[in-house]
Amino acid sequence: MTASLLAVLILVQLDSAQSPRSPPSPHTVMAISQVALINTFVNRVDAWVFQQDWARSGTRVWGRHLRLGWEWDEDAFTTNMFAHPYHGSLYFNAARANGVGFFQAVPYAIMGSWTWEYFGEKYRPSLNDWYMTSFGGITLGEVFHRITATIRDNGASGRGRTLRELAALPMDPIGSLNRLVRGQWRARGVNPPEHDPGSYVFRIGGGVRFAKGLIADSGAASMGAMLVDLLYGDPFATEYRSPFDVFGVRLMLSSHGGFSSLRASGRVYGTNLNNPASRARHVLAVNTRYDYFKNRAQSVGGQSVEIGINSRWPIGSRGYAFRTSLFVDGVLLGAIDASGTGLGTRTYDFGPGGGARWEFGFDRHGARFVRVFGQLEYIHAVSGASADHIVDFSGIEANIPITRGFGIAAHSTVFHRISRYSTAPKDERNYPEARLLLTWTKAGFKP
Amino acid sequence: MDQSRVQALRRTICGVTLCVLLTAPAWAQQPRSARPARPARPHRSGLWGEIGFGPGRIRVACSGCTDVVAAGGPTGYFRIGGTVSDHVLIGFEAFSFLDRAFGSSPSDTTAETALATVVVIWFPGQRGFFFKGGVGIAGGQFTLPGTAGADTSNGAGIGLTFGFGWDFAISRNFAITTNFAAHVTAVGDVVLPGQRVDDVIATMYQGAIGFTFR
Repeated sequence: MTASLLAVLILVQLDSAQSPRSPPSPHTVMAISQVALINTFVNRVDAWVFQQDWARSGTRVWGRHLRLGWEWDEDAFTTNMFAHPYHGSLYFNAARANGVGFFQAVPYAIMGSWTWEYFGEKYRPSLNDWYMTSFGGITLGEVFHRITATIRDNGASGRGRTLRELAALPMDPIGSLNRLVRGQWRARGVNPPEHDPGSYVFRIGGGVRFAKGLIADSGAASMGAMLVDLLYGDPFATEYRSPFDVFGVRLMLSSHGGFSSLRASGRVYGTNLNNPASRARHVLAVNTRYDYFKNRAQSVGGQSVEIGINSRWPIGSRGYAFRTSLFVDGVLLGAIDASGTGLGTRTYDFGPGGGARWEFGFDRHGARFVRVFGQLEYIHAVSGASADHIVDFSGIEANIPITRGFGIAAHSTVFHRISRYSTAPKDERNYPEARLLLTWTKAGFKP
Repeated sequence: MDQSRVQALRRTICGVTLCVLLTAPAWAQQPRSARPARPARPHRSGLWGEIGFGPGRIRVACSGCTDVVAAGGPTGYFRIGGTVSDHVLIGFEAFSFLDRAFGSSPSDTTAETALATVVVIWFPGQRGFFFKGGVGIAGGQFTLPGTAGADTSNGAGIGLTFGFGWDFAISRNFAITTNFAAHVTAVGDVVLPGQRVDDVIATMYQGAIGFTFR
């Protein structure tokens, strides 16, 4: 393995010697080698360093996997719904870091995951792992690729430059390693197009979260919460140029349960539905979406594709506007917990589904002051209980600016769930939640 | 082998290697017109449709099963779609597998599965070789002999397909297409009186000949 690692690093070095400061052109062999290296590295570290028996696969295991095929695994919710998509983002960004385009990078995530499932571990190939690693890896991978492109700055120098490179490392370790070996942590040059999102809104907030039923089945509890919102691009200011030129991310951390939620949705295709010069605008978008909610009361997530219309009605000439969104979606594979769900040690179901979401907002240049939203999803379990789940998530959020980017945000949301079983009574639950946050917003607008 | 013959062989290998290394760049820099021209292939554009049939094999696995059940049967598919570029097609595919003599059971035991998927077909080169992949929904129906006639269980879930093939262009608007594909259907639990099989995943392998119209 050391030899293969050295070979790849030498190839990266030789490759960088040809064009040290220009954006990388596609290097397919390098990208494939790095995907293979990720699997080999992870497998050998688990086998040799952590002494994991499941990592000791060989030709006999491979033959068994090819003969028996797919099954559903019993891993923890966080492992399946976050760790695997993150792993998939490594494959995807091995391709992106070597100049491969978005759509061309998709097979890297798919094949990286497939080869890992069949050859990387002793367990039988897991169908849910393949879905989550592949499709979650594509969505998270491109989000990480673009966020890290905005963090890194090829025009910067000194300690600030190093800090930027270090900040990008956790989200895109493969891209960072490529840049380190190519000498791009220090070399000055032009930034890639992804570095400048055009319009953006970045909002971070900290405060308190009041939730009913999160810690115990009855009664309300309060806990600390941190919320991060990023809107990269604006569907009305940015004409569709490439996938994920517009995306949104929300991350929530909580003092109870830590990593509480992560949602990302990126535009893979978009087109104007009316004249772009019109005052009211209507834009069609096709998005891929990643959802992850995890706490004691609710675990739900999945990979989806959605299609819908974003509309904007301006008010006056100073950038204020009403915005609406209406989308329908197909859940490629979702996961949800409820009483009576699960398989073996697993406590949640897997299944496909579909749904819709809507949103009404009032904003200035994309920075929301008020947002009212609702989302309804149906999941039909194909692994776990014989059940159908309906999830209804709605809420209202108000952000009141005070001064110099600071503001106060008040959120109120309700998570409602109905689970219908073929062999058990219906289960219905509500989880209301409120948040009060001190926020700081930084926004840029380029019409 | 004596020393002189070893040295002669070594000189010959070095000479040939040197010649190849020296002439390869010159050959590579020849004008394109000097190389043999590839036969023209119709540019892929517009709408297309394809229908095909062929033999298949189904492999059924489930949670907790230590082995799989496999059987052969006929398959059929239908695809329709549009062209993204000369190398990429996108479309909708319906696939079905029918087994009237499933496994080693009596002939009235049947398994029928079907998929409806969005597929992407990618032609990596200038010729007709392609890869195919898609995701969508799936359905399955399993029938076993029961005490009062046949017992049937239906399931619905997720479908996944991937494969490869070759497109032999007969004319500008017609091609014969070979397909080798795997179709994965996860249809949940199969519940029949007296027995229950959890989390069934059926994988069909298909080799088929299709007719493509553009």
